[in-house]
Amino acid sequence: MKRLLLACLCAAMLCGFAGAAHAKTLKMALDADPVSLDPHVQLSGGMLQYSHICFDPLVRWAKDGSFEPRLAVSWEQIDPLTTRFHLREGVKFHSGNAFTAKDVAWTLERLKQSQDYKFLFELFGPAKVVDDLTVDIVTTKPYGLVLAMATYIFPMDSAFYSGMDDSGQPKDAIVKTGPSFALTNESGTGPFAVTYREQGVKTVFTRFKDYWDTKSPGNVDEIVLTPIKEEATRVAALLSGDVDFISPVPPQDLERVGAHKDVQLVTMSGTRVITFQLNQKRRPEFADKRVRMAVEYAVNNAGIVDKIMKGFATVAAQQSPAGYAGHNPELAPRFDLDKAKALMKEAGYEKGFTVTMIAPNNRYVNDEKIAQAVAGMLAKINIKVELKTMPKAQYWDEFDAQVADIQMIGWHSDTEDTANFFEYLLMCPNKETGSGQYNSGNYCNPELDALVIAANAEFDTAKRTAMLQQAEKMAYDDAAFVNLHWQNNSWAGRKNHKNLEHILNVMDFPYFGDLVVE
Amino acid sequence: MALLARLRESYLLHSFLRDPVAVGSFIVVVLLVTAGFLAPVLAPMNPYDPAQIDVMDSELAPAWIDQDSSFLLGTDSQGRDILSTILYGTRVSVLIGLGAVALQAALGIGIGLISGYAGGRVDAVLMRVADVQLSFSTYMVAIFLGAIFQATFGVGRYEQIAVPFLIAVIGLAEWPQYARTVRASVLAEKKKEYVEAARVIGLPSGRIMWRHILPNTMTPVMVISTVQVANAIMSEAALSFIGLGMPVTKPSLGSLIKSGFEYIFSGAWWITLFPGVVLVLLILTINLLGDWMRDFLNPKLYKS
Repeated sequence: MKRLLLACLCAAMLCGFAGAAHAKTLKMALDADPVSLDPHVQLSGGMLQYSHICFDPLVRWAKDGSFEPRLAVSWEQIDPLTTRFHLREGVKFHSGNAFTAKDVAWTLERLKQSQDYKFLFELFGPAKVVDDLTVDIVTTKPYGLVLAMATYIFPMDSAFYSGMDDSGQPKDAIVKTGPSFALTNESGTGPFAVTYREQGVKTVFTRFKDYWDTKSPGNVDEIVLTPIKEEATRVAALLSGDVDFISPVPPQDLERVGAHKDVQLVTMSGTRVITFQLNQKRRPEFADKRVRMAVEYAVNNAGIVDKIMKGFATVAAQQSPAGYAGHNPELAPRFDLDKAKALMKEAGYEKGFTVTMIAPNNRYVNDEKIAQAVAGMLAKINIKVELKTMPKAQYWDEFDAQVADIQMIGWHSDTEDTANFFEYLLMCPNKETGSGQYNSGNYCNPELDALVIAANAEFDTAKRTAMLQQAEKMAYDDAAFVNLHWQNNSWAGRKNHKNLEHILNVMDFPYFGDLVVE
Repeated sequence: MALLARLRESYLLHSFLRDPVAVGSFIVVVLLVTAGFLAPVLAPMNPYDPAQIDVMDSELAPAWIDQDSSFLLGTDSQGRDILSTILYGTRVSVLIGLGAVALQAALGIGIGLISGYAGGRVDAVLMRVADVQLSFSTYMVAIFLGAIFQATFGVGRYEQIAVPFLIAVIGLAEWPQYARTVRASVLAEKKKEYVEAARVIGLPSGRIMWRHILPNTMTPVMVISTVQVANAIMSEAALSFIGLGMPVTKPSLGSLIKSGFEYIFSGAWWITLFPGVVLVLLILTINLLGDWMRDFLNPKLYKS
């Protein structure tokens, strides 16, 4: 009997110790999981979040807006066109290969091939490898945003991604839809490596044991990412303890989550603007400025912010949020139903017409409800909207194919600068250069393009600001697209996530490698 | 008039009136269905007309909680009046239920009759088809056909064809229930003397099947029909709840319950609760009526 008791006691103690030394797992529920393991397939918030988990950028944004060295330890401008980056020593990729300047040059070359990224890197020439740990990034024109762009250079393992895969396709092929080597394989230098992935079901990231940043306080050994599209389910999973971290927190649940005793809520006012694009190529009606203006006047964006977003967003009348160079304080939100009706009458569409609209249902905060509300508002000026919403995994293919007359898109400026909005959303679409890559409205105003290009070459801050503000005014006067709001960011984690607020930022790129769980 | 008099004298009415559950259920069903079909007259607003909805009215509480609210049962996240949406939604649900059962019955009775009467190879083939059909769940059929429909009719068109589409899906998915029941009854009937007599007279098979055998198999068919209407309404609600049924812009009871689901813990409980209560009530009462009818038509319980 005594022996049995002793054995039980020993077993219990063993279990206890095992529990204490148990690996720290962060169970995370987001509205969607990465569409691919290839970071260059899509320029989107979700893919950049993934990049920060599995890869490291040359530099990254710190909380105060400065640049924090990551794979680059220091940098200097050696002439107006060249910035020299000194790289970190002893960094290893997940495959075991050593990280060198060659990988940086290779990654930049691949970025320039990517449909989505190529316009961001249009001014960049091929990088020059000086030695193993020194690389020169060269631009074709003097460019003020080289460091901001370096936050998007996540060096990939050039040796790992070279050669042919089993189906005879080059391993570095960037394939938007369909199989590719990079879709299912990854090798970066980041704090975590993907060890299991079933798309749309579960992704497991395991701490990389040879991670270079040994000074990082982060102690999470494993991240299990489960996409939960249903908002109520996501919140319930957090509150019941099934998951430890969720994002976004739906506006209707902020109060409840904030008041919970085991949970901490972090919110930040955001810089991501939510808009609708009116396709002028599909619908000749939208080529008429009066019709676009009528739509802009018919959409009560203050009402959407108030009712659907529960005040958890800022009403927008332009793309640049306050604090950006191009933010034009003169532009005020427009909503006037009578004026909208008058404009429709003036344009000869008093009886209205029927259009199609698509929107994602797990990409932006309350995206589906916003789309429904806008459809209802347009009905009041006799524009009948046939709306279809879908998960983002399908949405971007449909968006690129421009299957509907009105399409929703939200944009966060990649460079934290106004020009980026114009370059991607409003410049005349050009497949060669990649400008207007996400301009599904096909709005094209050469004057506006010229102004933004001139602003990019302008180094006098005051002049550049005036030019970008002028550009915002032109888009506003032209009702180039439908403005809604800048959505706020929200995350919720457990109380024992010690530095949760520090690893989160307004770009919504959480630095999970540094998360401390007690 | 004569028919009415016959009904008054009948055992059917007598048995019905003696059962308070049956009478109560009948009244509730009639009330709900009438209210649903009179929705355009009764409802304070038309929730299917986006021009009448104002997002500024969204998520208002029922009138007895929020004194300022002019909406009796509150509003949903888009500002639709819940009461109106329930009325319109009930109409859609009942319409789909009846339509789907009509389709199931037409297919099932026809196939069951032929299969039972012809027997042999025809019977074997038809019943194997029914088995195959039974092995697909309604949801699988809906997902499969839904993908084809949406690809053929384009992005926005689905909204207009949603009702016939759902009738077709639920009707096609569940006809074997009828076919099997009818076949079983036919097998029992066709050996009886009146059928032999009809055959000896030289009547064609078609006439024997439809005019002589079919009326005698109607008892179980009627019982199944009541239960199947309830089932079809439930299938529709379930399909709408998982997003394969009625679009959110034209809510049925199921899609209304779904749209309120994410608010149920956030305070706006009325969006899900009221349509849920109506759905439960509708299905429960139809099932109770079906129960009564089964008891009434069961000869073993007839005398007791």
